[in-house]
Amino acid sequence: MSHLTIPAGQGPAGDTTHAEHSGTPYGDSARSSDVHVFEGPRLLRDLADGPGLGMHRRRAPRALAVPPRSQHVGALADLLEAVDLRGRGGAAFPLARKVRTATKAKGRPVVVVNAAEGEPASSKDSVLMLLKPHLVLDGAQAVAHALGASAVHVVVPGERPAVERAARTALAERADTGDITMTVHRAECRFVAGESSAVLELLAGRPNLPVTTQRPSAVSGLGGRPTVLSNAETFAQAALVVRDGVDAYCAAGTHAEPGTRLLTIDGDGERPTVLEVAHGTPLAPILAAVDADADTGLLLGGYHGTWLAGDVVAGLTVSATAITAAGAAIGAGVLLPLRAGACPVRRTAVIVGYLAGESANRCGPCRFGLPALAEALREVAFGTVSSTARLEQLATTVEGRGSCHHPDGTTRSIRSLLRVFPEEVDAHLSGSCAAGDLVGTRTLVAGTLVAGTLGTGTLVAGTLGTQTFDTRAFGIGTVGAGAMAGVR
Amino acid sequence: MWPTGGREAQQLRVDWQACDGHGLCAELLPEVVRLDEWGFPVVDRPVPAGLRRHARTAVSACPKLALRLQQR
Repeated sequence: MSHLTIPAGQGPAGDTTHAEHSGTPYGDSARSSDVHVFEGPRLLRDLADGPGLGMHRRRAPRALAVPPRSQHVGALADLLEAVDLRGRGGAAFPLARKVRTATKAKGRPVVVVNAAEGEPASSKDSVLMLLKPHLVLDGAQAVAHALGASAVHVVVPGERPAVERAARTALAERADTGDITMTVHRAECRFVAGESSAVLELLAGRPNLPVTTQRPSAVSGLGGRPTVLSNAETFAQAALVVRDGVDAYCAAGTHAEPGTRLLTIDGDGERPTVLEVAHGTPLAPILAAVDADADTGLLLGGYHGTWLAGDVVAGLTVSATAITAAGAAIGAGVLLPLRAGACPVRRTAVIVGYLAGESANRCGPCRFGLPALAEALREVAFGTVSSTARLEQLATTVEGRGSCHHPDGTTRSIRSLLRVFPEEVDAHLSGSCAAGDLVGTRTLVAGTLVAGTLGTGTLVAGTLGTQTFDTRAFGIGTVGAGAMAGVR
Repeated sequence: MWPTGGREAQQLRVDWQACDGHGLCAELLPEVVRLDEWGFPVVDRPVPAGLRRHARTAVSACPKLALRLQQR
């Protein structure tokens, strides 16, 4: 296990674009700029090497220094399909299908690496860009080469300037990109900025906000060109498939879901943990290894995620199929554990309040509906209403009505709260709180968000599945400056 | 039930960023469009073939050009 410290500081060129952001649901504690990183089997291995290109190439001499231009795009798509590589940004769309679609569409394709997580609870793409940027760029370059693309755009989160610096440093090291232009773009500091259509808007020089799209970006994306846009981790996984081959890639994970996946486990006020696990790994030991207590439940998939009860979490594995069967979705791999005795109603109210403030205010149902939803949920939390009728009616009203899935994602956590925690909700409706957490709830109304108390910060080395994690501290220490999770 | 005329059903789609909640669509096509509590359109059924002309009127009358008639 390693410990990545990214001290708060000035943004690139002294530019701090933090001013307009409305903050995270965890208030001051989220200024914590540290992320715990476990050494992992593939993406996160050899962390002590540092992020440089030299060691990256020495570790894997057969790597994609200059992938053969002649590599047929169909062959690449076959590789991606053979391991069923799906997008790791949340939508889980098969990358092979994007690549094939882009091949058939008119125009010279463009590749977009989306490392702008937007969601404050997610850190995995930032960690990847900070520690293993060349794996991400290898994957993007391989896809770009196969497609005959002219450009690779790397989009970094505005609120994490260290990530931008790491991306720029990595790009400057790569002199072997041929006729592919690689550029870095800084997303705005807001939740919806990382949404794929918002990213394309940013690249087109327009406001970094989601828009209604008529056609898939693989058909007509940036400037009308076929655009293969995927999450940073997706491209890193693609690099592994291309470099190591299908058999090696499938050596980890399960038959149905080969390979590994990055997770971010929220520290409930303490620093989050990023780790890489093989598909099929049981969730319980992973949570135990990071001292996370999910006895009450787990919000799986981040702020747009789904609540699962503690007993369900105990039997779950890291598998999209198993998680779907449990009624949730793994999304971008964000896990928000709810410690024993904590209140899911309050926690959801805090998150929904934050999400309402993160609306781009462009689509009426989102602009007006989300604040109304947040208010209705606060009323439930305070017990000033006797039923959830208004809350449910509002949820129905906003669902499916907007350019992006921000409204739908917001109602998802509310719906699952009502489904999974009916007793806790009923307790609030009658003016009490099973978790004794009404004080915290009251605090919320004043706008002062109280940090949770879980997470002693004591991290233990653990064995997750077949992977033993290294406990040595790695020498990255201070990777540039910039607030990691400090989304101000 | 509205007569379908044996043709494929069409759907009104709202461009949510463009829509400003003027509400003309609900005036012109109340059979298909109602307004939510903030005045934004709720389209919860396809356009029956018999109302297609009215739907086209609603599309062209929208002051923000925020409506489209699409094949389902």
